[in-house]
Amino acid sequence: MRDIIVIILQIAGLLLIVVAGVGLIRLPDFYCRSHALGKAMALGIVLLLTALWVHLGFDAAGMILPLAFLFQLITIPVASHLLCQLARRKNIPTFDPAKQKNTKKET
Amino acid sequence: MIELIHTVALFILAGTALCGVYRLFFGPSRVDRILSFDMIAISVVAMISELSLMGRTPEFLELILVFSLLGFFGTVMLVFYEHKSHPGPEKETKKEEKPQ
Repeated sequence: MRDIIVIILQIAGLLLIVVAGVGLIRLPDFYCRSHALGKAMALGIVLLLTALWVHLGFDAAGMILPLAFLFQLITIPVASHLLCQLARRKNIPTFDPAKQKNTKKET
Repeated sequence: MIELIHTVALFILAGTALCGVYRLFFGPSRVDRILSFDMIAISVVAMISELSLMGRTPEFLELILVFSLLGFFGTVMLVFYEHKSHPGPEKETKKEEKPQ
């Protein structure tokens, strides 16, 4: 029973991390990439650490793993927000769909 | 079955770290590179948790804490360095508004 829960949590976390990795490559804009990392990656790493906690049990792991995933759940959106503030300050251009359509027609 | 899932998971996490390396080389701006640093740090934490699942040992838990802390503070350090090197247009507009 415990192995089934571990496998389900692990597969869900890995799917979310794959979504974050594909989004980091494919999305056209910095803000879109930061959005992909800040939400999908945070939830994926939290699911993986929860799987580890269920697998090891409370006696072996203690309260270290809940501390770790609370830390990840707080700090990943904070880092993403700081990066977006910096990009806003440096005037990094946002995604323009009209240009994207023109390039698709040319190619 | 379970060991096969663990090895596949390690390969998938290495693939996401390679996505971060791609954005590190071809990123158009410095902010993209800082973002890819954050991505690689988090995927390394996920790899350590996967190793701890493979070996069934609780010996790597402190390593998870230390690596997540190092990734977050590395990102914050790079962001504040960029803030210092680019003061930005916000301060100038505020200075113009105050004497009025």
